[in-house]
Amino acid sequence: MSLFGTSTGFGAGGFGAATTDTHNPMKDVEVTSPPDDSISCLAFSPPAMPGNFLIGGSWANDVRCWEVQDNGQTVPKAQQMHTGPVLDVCWSEDGSKVFTASCDKTAKMWDLNSNQAIQIAQHDAPIRTVHWIKAPNYNCIMTGSWDKTLKFWDTRSPNPMMSLQLPERCYCADVVYPMAVVASAERGLIVYQLENQPSEFRRIDSPLKHQVTGFTYQHRCIAIFKDKQNKPAGFALGSIEGRVAIHYINPPNPAKDNFTFKCHRSNGTNTTTPQDIYAVNAISFHPVHGTLATVGSDGRFSFWDKDARTKLKTSEQLDQPITACSFNNNGNIFAYASSYDWSKGHEYYNPQKKNYIFLRNATEELKPRNKK
Amino acid sequence: MPVCNFWMQGRCRYGDKCWNEHPKAGGGGYGGEYNSRPPQQSNRGGGGGFGNRVWVNPAQRSGGGNYVQPSSFSSQQGGNNWGPGGGGGGRDSQAQSSNFSFAASSPNQNRFSALNTQSSFDKGGRGEGEDNEKHLETIQKDMEIWETSGQWLFSCYSVLKATISGFTELSPEELRLEYYNTKPSGDLQGYANVINQLVNQWRSRVQELRAMSGNTRVAMLAELDNPAPQAASGGFGSTPVTGFGSSAPSGFGTGFGVPAQVPVQDTSGASNFSFAGPGAASAALGSAASAVPPAPTGIGSMATTVPSAAGFSFATSAANKETTTAGFGAPASASGFSFASTVAGGGGAFGGSGFGSAAPVAASGFGQASGGFGVMAPADSLFTPHSQLSEEELKEFGGKRFTLGQIPLKPPPVNMLVV
Repeated sequence: MSLFGTSTGFGAGGFGAATTDTHNPMKDVEVTSPPDDSISCLAFSPPAMPGNFLIGGSWANDVRCWEVQDNGQTVPKAQQMHTGPVLDVCWSEDGSKVFTASCDKTAKMWDLNSNQAIQIAQHDAPIRTVHWIKAPNYNCIMTGSWDKTLKFWDTRSPNPMMSLQLPERCYCADVVYPMAVVASAERGLIVYQLENQPSEFRRIDSPLKHQVTGFTYQHRCIAIFKDKQNKPAGFALGSIEGRVAIHYINPPNPAKDNFTFKCHRSNGTNTTTPQDIYAVNAISFHPVHGTLATVGSDGRFSFWDKDARTKLKTSEQLDQPITACSFNNNGNIFAYASSYDWSKGHEYYNPQKKNYIFLRNATEELKPRNKK
Repeated sequence: MPVCNFWMQGRCRYGDKCWNEHPKAGGGGYGGEYNSRPPQQSNRGGGGGFGNRVWVNPAQRSGGGNYVQPSSFSSQQGGNNWGPGGGGGGRDSQAQSSNFSFAASSPNQNRFSALNTQSSFDKGGRGEGEDNEKHLETIQKDMEIWETSGQWLFSCYSVLKATISGFTELSPEELRLEYYNTKPSGDLQGYANVINQLVNQWRSRVQELRAMSGNTRVAMLAELDNPAPQAASGGFGSTPVTGFGSSAPSGFGTGFGVPAQVPVQDTSGASNFSFAGPGAASAALGSAASAVPPAPTGIGSMATTVPSAAGFSFATSAANKETTTAGFGAPASASGFSFASTVAGGGGAFGGSGFGSAAPVAASGFGQASGGFGVMAPADSLFTPHSQLSEEELKEFGGKRFTLGQIPLKPPPVNMLVV
């Protein structure tokens, strides 16, 4: 149906019989027992834990945990359920707990050792993001919700430690202590500083602007990057319009240092023929190299070097959008999920279509270009 | 001797008798016979150069047999030469209009300053006017791209700091969740209808901005100059009521999008779209739809304060407070009734004529679904519990019609909604 326009990409006949193996054109390792519905989020275990464990939340209301062995084998380990689709997951820094945020307006803390999950947060609307904050003087969970609030929870108490008002529904967030950044609807963008206690640091006029004209679209995903001293220095913000903005918090020269680049478009940078424009669904930074990966509705992932301002690699096109991605803690593994992201509405939703999580070796392809 | 500007444009009517200089170069080939009437005494002095000579509007001249009119102007009536074409607005219709743009006459700009006041498009400062012109072109181009690129429809859009009105912002997750929540009740058709409606609203708004008609242009320029403040969480609360007193521009009756009178709080409309309380909102819709469909004038004017897209049924949050209230206000109102101030914002939600037809379907679909999740957390802002309502208010809600002057300002309790 032409409800959403003429763009094809992967839509038309791609569902069902995949005789040509376009579901895994990159020949990456498939994770066994993937969820039964679209994967909304992926997270690898932190360095404190030996080995690699991958958590994935899905629209089938479940959160699954796999162990990823060094030979690439994946072993399903455990699973927890919410009463609504899971939108975000994160780990505690010691790797003993997993936090999950769901459309059922709760966030849960899942103790992996005991395999018990308890509710630790409550909102008035679906919770879109959950992040663990480890500060010298406090630990807490930060949840961003469509009820336009950002709440901070001590997991032992049913009431939030703090609740901050957002200008609009929270669409994405990221935390790298002592910085947190939240992007909301209506191009809202707020940076928080987390020392002592969370407080709003600055509201930023969305950097996703065309240089000349200044138009922007909906924010979709965000990821904080660090500088050479391992301190958070800025963030990458992706929009539905196939564009990513790199924005430094305190750059020496904002006009020069901040920039945007187009990605996940059908014609590359050729602007003469009409392009198909796809949303950037997720951004992840490589923990060692500082290069970044973007995944989009077009079913591709790309690696970029933001300092050299070049693209490192673009994948082949998968037959489904890529909805989530994550690097493991030492940057050897890049995980990405192939499932429908609703970018073309309900008509293109096929519940029968299999969802995948792929693992790719990330040691070589994300090395930065020659840096000056 | 100052250079004759009309000569530079090839339109000097005094020919050799002109008191200003007619440089040979770049004058265009119009150095022929011209009427040599003495200058008229109309007060078009403008600045400098002319002294007490004035420019006579070609429309006022009689006859004109000897007057050589360059072919490029032949299609224009006299007055139009210096009408809106003189401002930035002439660009879209007249290929030759650049002859009239002030850029060509920048050294003599003050000569035409009197014309500035005439042009409805000038902003009293040419630089700003031209920037806004560029913005309008940008908007048109962006709309063109948006229509063909297949990118996500339900996104905000902005040129300057504030977002442009008339666009609903919804993330794919929100739409998807709505679908998943609707599925158990089986009424996916209702969901599809609502989506269709949203898409149509988007499409008409995009096409409207792309065509950039006169009305749209005015509205856009107004918006660009008076950007709406970032959406407050309770978007409706501070919506100016003044929009009601004034007559709604004709644009409202038809398409939704001309928010000329909505300089502020446009972004609030988008906040209506979170899906959290579909059950509640639909119930409100159901009652509004079952009542008399809103008359275009009475309710249409309410659309001034709410972007058209706000008519969507998935409204929730504090903004809905007023929405729901207005919904109940509607049945009692005849056309032209001026609603109480707090009711202001919401009524627009039901303003669209196209909306009334879809509403019953949507309402029924979500009415059923509301059983599942009707009483969601935002319910406390959407509905008032019995305990908080006074006796009179309860009576009003209970009655068949509202009494003028006694319409409750708070939303009704959940169980009093009749779908």
